[in-house]
Amino acid sequence: MSDIKKSPLRVALAGNPNAGKTSLFNALTGAHHKVGNYPGVTVEKREGSRFLDGREYHFVDVPGIYSLTAYSIDEVVARDFILDEKPDLIVDVLDSTNLERNLFLCLQFQELGIPVVGALNMSDEAAAKGIKIDVEALSGVLGIPMVKTVGTKGSGIIALLDSIDAAVGDQQATYGNNSRPAHSIRYGQEIESRVEPLEAVIAADAPFAARFPARWLAVKLLEKDVNAYERLAFHKNAAGITAQAKESVAWIEKHYGKDAEIVISEQRYGYIRGAANETVTQVKKPTVSLTEAIDRVVMNRFLALLIFLLVLWGVFKLTFALGAYPQGWLEVFFGWLGGAVNSVVPEGFLRSLLVKGVIGGVGSVFSFVPLIIILFFLLSLLEDVGYMSRAAFATDKFLHAFGLHGQSVFPMILGFGCSVPAIMAARTLKSRRDRIVTILVIPFMSCGAKLPVYVLLAGAFFAKNAGNMVMLVYAIGAVISLIAALVLKKTVLRGDPTPFVMELPPYRAPTLGGLLWHVWEKTSQYIKKAGTVIMAAAILIWAITTFPLYELPQSQIASLTTSYKAKNANVDQKAIASYLETAKAGASLEHSVAGTIGKFIEPVFRPLGFDWKISVATVTGFAAKEVIVSTFGILYRVGTEENEQSTSLRDALRADSQFTPLVAFVLMLFVLVIPPCFAALSTIKAELGWGWLGFAFVFMLALGWCLGAAVYQIGLFTGGAVAAI
Amino acid sequence: MVVSDAPAGANFRVIGVKTCKEVGKRLADMGFTEGAEGAVVRSGFLRDPLQVKIRGYDILIRRSEADDIEITPVGDWNTT
Repeated sequence: MSDIKKSPLRVALAGNPNAGKTSLFNALTGAHHKVGNYPGVTVEKREGSRFLDGREYHFVDVPGIYSLTAYSIDEVVARDFILDEKPDLIVDVLDSTNLERNLFLCLQFQELGIPVVGALNMSDEAAAKGIKIDVEALSGVLGIPMVKTVGTKGSGIIALLDSIDAAVGDQQATYGNNSRPAHSIRYGQEIESRVEPLEAVIAADAPFAARFPARWLAVKLLEKDVNAYERLAFHKNAAGITAQAKESVAWIEKHYGKDAEIVISEQRYGYIRGAANETVTQVKKPTVSLTEAIDRVVMNRFLALLIFLLVLWGVFKLTFALGAYPQGWLEVFFGWLGGAVNSVVPEGFLRSLLVKGVIGGVGSVFSFVPLIIILFFLLSLLEDVGYMSRAAFATDKFLHAFGLHGQSVFPMILGFGCSVPAIMAARTLKSRRDRIVTILVIPFMSCGAKLPVYVLLAGAFFAKNAGNMVMLVYAIGAVISLIAALVLKKTVLRGDPTPFVMELPPYRAPTLGGLLWHVWEKTSQYIKKAGTVIMAAAILIWAITTFPLYELPQSQIASLTTSYKAKNANVDQKAIASYLETAKAGASLEHSVAGTIGKFIEPVFRPLGFDWKISVATVTGFAAKEVIVSTFGILYRVGTEENEQSTSLRDALRADSQFTPLVAFVLMLFVLVIPPCFAALSTIKAELGWGWLGFAFVFMLALGWCLGAAVYQIGLFTGGAVAAI
Repeated sequence: MVVSDAPAGANFRVIGVKTCKEVGKRLADMGFTEGAEGAVVRSGFLRDPLQVKIRGYDILIRRSEADDIEITPVGDWNTT
């Protein structure tokens, strides 16, 4: 057969979460893969091909799901992909150690009228546990070819491909001319007496039945699946069938005394139990597993939270301590690149654009890449090992009180480091509403870039209690995020509480290949974004702080020089030059679009006690929050390269009579709450779309303003109590 | 009797889920169907959520969900 060129096959790779689907996908496709998104949603879609004996097997990775009930976005994506794109075959990846529940999904695939091949994955683990599966008998009983595989070791791959080839070849023999599987689950006499008539009336409309498998739809109608009724609308006898289905549902519920969808699930499990009894045997008595031994400690009622905090601290420490080195190298590199461009490109717009706009902007974004790599390596490690469910177990009770989910905890804590990877990490949340809430409150967890602002202000105005002041702001941020989550869940994201039903997989050794794969995916997505949206934003910020160009008049330079010399005796030329440079930069910023905006919006910030300088700094802060510090450096004419430790900048801020300790405290709160930097905003857009980005922006701005105004006015009223600290 | 009544270590047999919207069907799909055998393994701080063994695998559910799963005891709960 191998000499004939066969048509390529499109194969959907589906299965339960934790069944080892990703490692099997990697073993099947090797390096030939690409990652995209399913249309309209942020569910990742991996595709890859394998060539064997003149045939191309094109695999599409379908999200891991437990059932085709379509309660989660993953289930909707999987169902729609299979129904609407009609792959040639489905490979269902089954966890051999947990066959009953895994077969539950497999049987639903079989009903779809598309050939199914079962990959009995993790068969080595099952063997070690003393679970003996009679593969041939199981295949025979279910009418689904089964192949033993071990995805992590790449074994059983060729047998699986051969089996796919054979199953497609047999399709005509198995399915005849319609898509009715010759062999599929029987629901027992009573249910069948209701399924079969429905199936017959659905099949009567041949073009419709060619689109939607009649038996599957009949069962789904009895399960009261809303989407099934929507699809039924295309049938020429939709009204009649709907009535008949509703009547059948009523009959089943009366007959069994419970809901029809539950009865169907019970029948499926009954059928599976029958099949498993004949073919799966436990040859060894299960002993206390290693997983259980570990969980006795890790999931201990009192230790669980403590261990979770330790793990978190470790992830945090490793990411930001280890990441600081390559981050520093990248900053040096981009600094060098800027210098190189500086010396090559003549002075003017182009140089300024390239050095300050493009290289400065993209450089600051790329310097996050090491953090993202380390962070996602550690997170993938925890996920692959199976710790994430344990973390959810430890924290769910507390977070649930605020309308959050146990799985929100990692993304939120990561927000203390950097919002960008934190927002991306929220993908682990399965419910869309939980994901939106989590993403919207992540920016309130003060990120690392906000710290320099706090250090500067606390150091300048609360020198005695600077450390406590910074801690206080962090704590306020965490409290705001919890309250905001609660408010959002009670208002715009109201709805039934998402059930917390989460599999607790056994601990499993991760594979390096799998980990690197995850890391590469996440990192490449971030880099793609940095190359486009963030670069555009960096250039925009550069433009509004540069244009229109303004030159300090010679007369002013002269008078500034004289007054500076008068105030500071014994200054050298260098000090004067640096003073003048800062003055020029300040004047040009003051006259730029950003400065104009700052002055224009100053009245809006009056109730918060902010003058135009603070307004400008918050505008430039959208590039990155630490830019606020360097903006102050320029505006207070201290220097163009000031940092938060600079005593001269602290002195300059204190010398400004406008800038009271109360204003400083309000500004810290304001920086904490207002929308995050462009990088984070564009990540929100990528994850949730423009609508939610707009909502987040307005929500945070409004909250920041209200909080700032309230604190400032109360502070004024109580006679500057804060100043007394 | 429901799952949330069972102490840690207690074995049970499922009678059925008191279905209510999404969660009932979801629990049934995860294996909580009539006749299935399971056990409560442990519960978290403040006794929530629960780790439950069902059909040979482990699952985490909140006490509020466990309230919807009707069971009969298997074995002697007092000795567990």
